[in-house]
Amino acid sequence: MSFLDSILAGLTVVGNIEAFLALGIGVTIGVIGGAIPGMSATMAVALTLPFTFSMQPITGILLLLGVYKGGIFGGSIPAILIKTPGTPASSATILDGYPMAEKGEAGRALGMALWASCTADVVSNLSLILFAGWLASFALSFGPPEFFTLILFSLTIIAGVSGDSLLKGALSALLGLMLATIGLDLVYGTNRFTFGDPNLMGGLNFIAVLIGLFAIPEVIAMVWHPTAHVGKARSLGKNWVSFADYRRSFRSIIRGSLIGVFLGSIPGIGAAPSAFLSYSEARRRSKYKENFGKGEVEGVAASEAGNNGVAGATLIPLLALGVPGDVITAIIIGAFMIHGLQPGPMMFILNVDIIYGLFIGLIVSSVFLFFIGSVAIKGFKYVADVPRRLLVPGVLVLCIYGVFAVNNNIFDVGVMFAMGWVGYVMMRYQVPAAPFLIAFILGPLLEDNFRQSMLMSGSDPSILLRGPITWFFWTVTVITIVAIIRAGFRATRRKPVADKG
Amino acid sequence: MNFKTLVTAGFVAASLATPALAEYPERPINMVIPYGAGGATDISARTIAEPLGDAVGKPLIMANVTGAGGATGSVAVQNAKPDGYTMLFARVGSHSVNPAMKETLPYTLDDFRFVTVYEINPVACAVSPNSGITSMEDLIAKVDEGGVAYSSSGVGSLLHLAAVMVLKEFGVENPLEQATHIPQKGGGAAATAVLNGTATFLCTNSSAVASFVANGQLIPLMVTTPEPIVGFDAPTAADLEKPALHQLVGWTGIAGPAGLPDDVAAKWGEWMAAATQDEGFLDKMTARGSVIELMNPEDANAFIQGQYETFRALVDELGMRIQG
Repeated sequence: MSFLDSILAGLTVVGNIEAFLALGIGVTIGVIGGAIPGMSATMAVALTLPFTFSMQPITGILLLLGVYKGGIFGGSIPAILIKTPGTPASSATILDGYPMAEKGEAGRALGMALWASCTADVVSNLSLILFAGWLASFALSFGPPEFFTLILFSLTIIAGVSGDSLLKGALSALLGLMLATIGLDLVYGTNRFTFGDPNLMGGLNFIAVLIGLFAIPEVIAMVWHPTAHVGKARSLGKNWVSFADYRRSFRSIIRGSLIGVFLGSIPGIGAAPSAFLSYSEARRRSKYKENFGKGEVEGVAASEAGNNGVAGATLIPLLALGVPGDVITAIIIGAFMIHGLQPGPMMFILNVDIIYGLFIGLIVSSVFLFFIGSVAIKGFKYVADVPRRLLVPGVLVLCIYGVFAVNNNIFDVGVMFAMGWVGYVMMRYQVPAAPFLIAFILGPLLEDNFRQSMLMSGSDPSILLRGPITWFFWTVTVITIVAIIRAGFRATRRKPVADKG
Repeated sequence: MNFKTLVTAGFVAASLATPALAEYPERPINMVIPYGAGGATDISARTIAEPLGDAVGKPLIMANVTGAGGATGSVAVQNAKPDGYTMLFARVGSHSVNPAMKETLPYTLDDFRFVTVYEINPVACAVSPNSGITSMEDLIAKVDEGGVAYSSSGVGSLLHLAAVMVLKEFGVENPLEQATHIPQKGGGAAATAVLNGTATFLCTNSSAVASFVANGQLIPLMVTTPEPIVGFDAPTAADLEKPALHQLVGWTGIAGPAGLPDDVAAKWGEWMAAATQDEGFLDKMTARGSVIELMNPEDANAFIQGQYETFRALVDELGMRIQG
């Protein structure tokens, strides 16, 4: 079957009103679900799943994919407006998105988030269509040792999001690593730091930590100084992103999309690390380095490109190997199986129409995302105009509801408040929260993959140097660390000169 | 005891029992799913919830309470009032493997009363085609040479126990020493580990590897059920003369706290009998590779207790119990 035949076969399965309607509804559900804190993209997809059982296979799957893509973008809306990431993947967007909203540029930040998301979406979908086979075989060469070196390299992001003081960033990361050890030990199954409480056996809930760390300190600060914000212009979310902004951030967007595609095609990493990696790379290479973390539009662009770049690419292991890359794609695999479809290499031969139908649907989904996202932003951006004395109590209610809803567990709400105080103390002493979060996400991955490698080799560390992939990551890790140290020395050397002058 | 007293006793009993029967359920029932949204338990629970809700006549409120391999959600139901308004979707991992393996688990089987088991998942063992292994014999020979590893979805999971039990049944003296366990986070990751060569084999629910087998990415070595499974070109445990492995299956059931009254349990028996007749339910479940096998409350308790004791004996014999 030629390429044209395949496309025509695909068109016959998606060329109907229901398929496109499903896609549009899916994106809408996703954007709204993603925009509600605590209602992550994962939950939105899981809740939509039962509705797809009675649909045509392709219609149902497109509905779920729409929810997924919409959800990842939707999460950036509360991240920018109220410093509460709607989904974990949008936590990097807070770093520059919220300061922009504080400066009265909420509309511009949201607009950039949308443009970057859609661009990354297109790049990600094209990579899926053009390079699925190649990237999938690459993904399969990632065993625990390769993973370990990749995560080790990713930890260098901490330097990129530490702000002014690397020491404070490292302190923050250390705290995150420590709290991430709570729960069941991977290899022995024993309890670690649970103090006999079954609530702690599963570890600290990620969403509770996330919201506690970012949103609650703002609430506490508001209670402490109810009038501190008076006189600061925050209102007016009416401004919009300009094409000049987009052109300026274009390199970061493309770089972020490619990082997303790369990390998305490897099962088991997910969108949050990708957003952070994209952000720190953008900061490292940007001309406006100093503005990062203070409301730089390029930072929003990079992080949103990083997380949306993952969305299409996670379908690479799913379609080409039948391997789910994260929880969301695991749910989507369930939808395939309900309809008797078995994702994997054979699907490209047996169900060409479905595969190409999906490809066409995906390309269209980027367009849908753009228009539905624009409408959503128009609706949501006036949240920035709500007076703070009304907004902050509302945020608190949303946070409590959201954290409870994740797991129907009141204990998580307690965790959120405890982390809120930790976050508040960190804020007071200018310890950045982002390194904490990165360490909290990556720490367990690092540990698990290290221990799996050791199990594989019978505790022989030379397995960490097997193959070219591990060598590659060791090299870039060393280069990055050397660069960080040199930059640190240069900064300290410059300071005394500045003092004299 | 004459006829008259018997009738009176029966009448008194009936008059006591009738109001309770008429009342339950008078409000929505909370159903706790102890695993995450989109997982095998979640999908199974939400699929049965549809016809079950019709049979119950009151809404079923589904809530995922996840964490610690199902322990967090199980504890929530263990501590609930045994009035039949908080019920649990119990699973093989949370209610037979975990209690058998984990010393520090905050609950035991005695803390729950099972009202049904409605789904059985056959277990299959599979290897990657690159391994050169095509039969259980080959695998055991490889184990004797050394260097064989198996993946699981975590310590104390069905996959962990299944691999050990299968090796033991096939004559490996000490599976813990002779093969390496490489735990992963979740069932998907466990299958991936075999695909990319991190581990040699895994034993898991047949539905979890069905698509890999269909695509030729994994080779099935055996299935634990007495009957063959569609799509799995592999001998059954019966063919291989290992009837003890028939115990090794996954299941999903519904349980309440230990003090659940008899009439509530009986009600659930009726509801489940009606719900599992639903054709849509049957189609969706069998499409995922499950076997629908309805057990009444007594059978369910006996089945789970039996499986628990088999697992417990194996765990004790090999010293696999997790302490601390």
